[in-house]
Parts: sequence; structure tokens; C-alpha cells
Amino acid sequence: MHETALMTNLLAIVERAARDGGGGRVRLVHARIGEFAGVNVEALRFAFEVLSPGTAARGGRLECEVVPLRVRCRGCGAEASPGDFVLACGRCGSTEIDIVGGREMEVDYILTDDEAAGDGAER
Amino acid sequence: MHEIRIGEDLRDRNREIAAENREHLRAHGIVALNLMSAPGAGKTSLLVRAIPLLSKRHAVGVIEGDIQTTTDAERVGAIGVPVYQIQTGGVCHLDAAMVHSALHRLDLESIDLLLIENVGNLVCPAEFDLGEDARVMLLSVSEGDDKPKKYPLMFHEAQLLVLNKIDLLPHVTFDLEKARRESREIQPRLDIIELSCATGEGLDRFADWIDRFVERARSR
Repeated sequence: MHETALMTNLLAIVERAARDGGGGRVRLVHARIGEFAGVNVEALRFAFEVLSPGTAARGGRLECEVVPLRVRCRGCGAEASPGDFVLACGRCGSTEIDIVGGREMEVDYILTDDEAAGDGAER
Repeated sequence: MHEIRIGEDLRDRNREIAAENREHLRAHGIVALNLMSAPGAGKTSLLVRAIPLLSKRHAVGVIEGDIQTTTDAERVGAIGVPVYQIQTGGVCHLDAAMVHSALHRLDLESIDLLLIENVGNLVCPAEFDLGEDARVMLLSVSEGDDKPKKYPLMFHEAQLLVLNKIDLLPHVTFDLEKARRESREIQPRLDIIELSCATGEGLDRFADWIDRFVERARSR
């Protein structure tokens, strides 16, 4: 389980962005997690609950968008969402396949209050 | 409310450190392999059996990763190669920063092939670049032939799959052909070597693969 370490990274990214973006309290964190990113979304949520109280995201909500596996054939350019982790092109049979989605582990955006939090905690 | 777009990957920091490790290793002429598998698949046994063969042509150094204990480092150190043990203290994988610290504790002038034994785990190590040149995945036949499909990312990330404990094939239900086929569906360019650390069968093929890999890596 490495969701705690990942959440520490996530919260650091969120803190920096919130500070640079005016210091408003973070209400929502929208993360994109690939279906095959090796991350358990439930464990990530739990880590957020445990770790966010001491940060700019305290009291905020974590929203995880699960991104399905998406592949593109280098040969014929066909794209597909195979559902199963099989890297062969359904159209031309080539095994020269790039994974173009499904391995994400990123903070997409956050929603913050317009005004800086007034309790001085951010200073 | 106002929206702040970020689009930053949680692994970015690890990737930066991994890139530094890679540069550091290259500057010292060291080729590095990251060995990954479930606990008990035979990573340490493979090191113990293969290093004497590899030492004929390479100056081997080892980084051991475990959650607890230094027993692996002791087993490998007994062969007489430099070894550094990382104890992750509960963390389920090695990350680039841990390897970075370990690199500062090994005499990099005295080695040219670094074998990094990751923490035994079939999920997490796949996502953490350490700065290695390639990943080697071990699957022992007693674990079952369904593992590639169940843990695809680990197999996808590997350049070589070692099917270990083939001496146990008569005693377990393991379809070699299925394991090979399904692993290659996940990673079409995967090399596969079957061996047994108990009998020594196939260890020469493993050493040959590493020889060829090191040669290719150095010519890049």
C-alpha cells in the first residue's frame, strides 16, 4: 500500500497550487486515477481523510475520476479501450501498441473559496 | 468558488529523482537492473545463485530492499560482493529517493553492474522508477499461472520475465504455455527465461541474457 505516500505528494501539490492561487480554502480536489495505475481509490480516499486535516485541503472533498485503459496502435492508428490488459490491435493485429490512458495518477484541478481563509493558518 | 487547473502527476517528484539516479549511474558506467516479484518468488536466491556466474564478467553490486531485517543483505554479502540494505520501514516498494541514498553509500567506482532487489510486492513497485536500465520480473511456478492477468502492470513494465522454481512443475498446476502467452499479451516484447535456483537449471541462460543486455546498454 503506497497510497499514503502518494497522498502526501498530492497534498503538497494542492497546498502549493492553493497558495499560488490566492490562498482560499480548498473545497474540492479532483484527481484522475488510471484503471491500471496500481492505486486503490478507496485507500486513497482513506489517506485523504487521515492526512488532509493538517493542510489547506482540510474539510475539503476528494473526487477520484477513474480513467479506463486506452490504447493506440502505432501501425494503423486505431484506438480502443480493451477493458482487459491485452496489447494487440483489434483492427490490424499489431502488437506495437501505446498506452494512452489508464495509468494516470494526477491532480487535475481544485476548487477553492474566492477569499483567503481567515484563520491565519495559511500564513 | 474558483477553479485552479493543476494537471500534475503524483509521481513527478519520484521521476525527477530517478532521472538523477540514471544520470549518476551512467556517469559511473554502471548498468542497473530492478528485480521485482511477489514475496518468496526467489529474488534473493536468484542473486545468490547468479552472482558467482555474473562476477566472471561484471563487477556486481547489490541494493537490497526490504520492509524489515537485513537477512537478504547478509545472504548476498556472504558471496563477497558490495551490498547495501535499504529498510523501508513499512513502505511497500523502493522509490528513487531511497535508491539515491543507497548510491551514496556504495563505492560506485568498484562496480559496473548494479542489481536492485525491490520489496516483494506484485503491485506497487511497478509505478516507481528507480533510475534502472531495465526491470526484471520473477514469477515462481508455485504462485500460479494466473498472475500475469491479475497483476498486469508488473509484467508490462518488465523487459525480462524469469519463471523460477521450474523444478516444482511436476508438483504444482502451472501451465507454462499459458503464463508465457498471457505475459506477452501484456508485454509483447518480453523476454522469458525458465529456471530453477534449486537445481541451477537455466541460470546460465539468465547470465547470458544479462551479458547481452549490459553489452547493448553500454553501446547506447
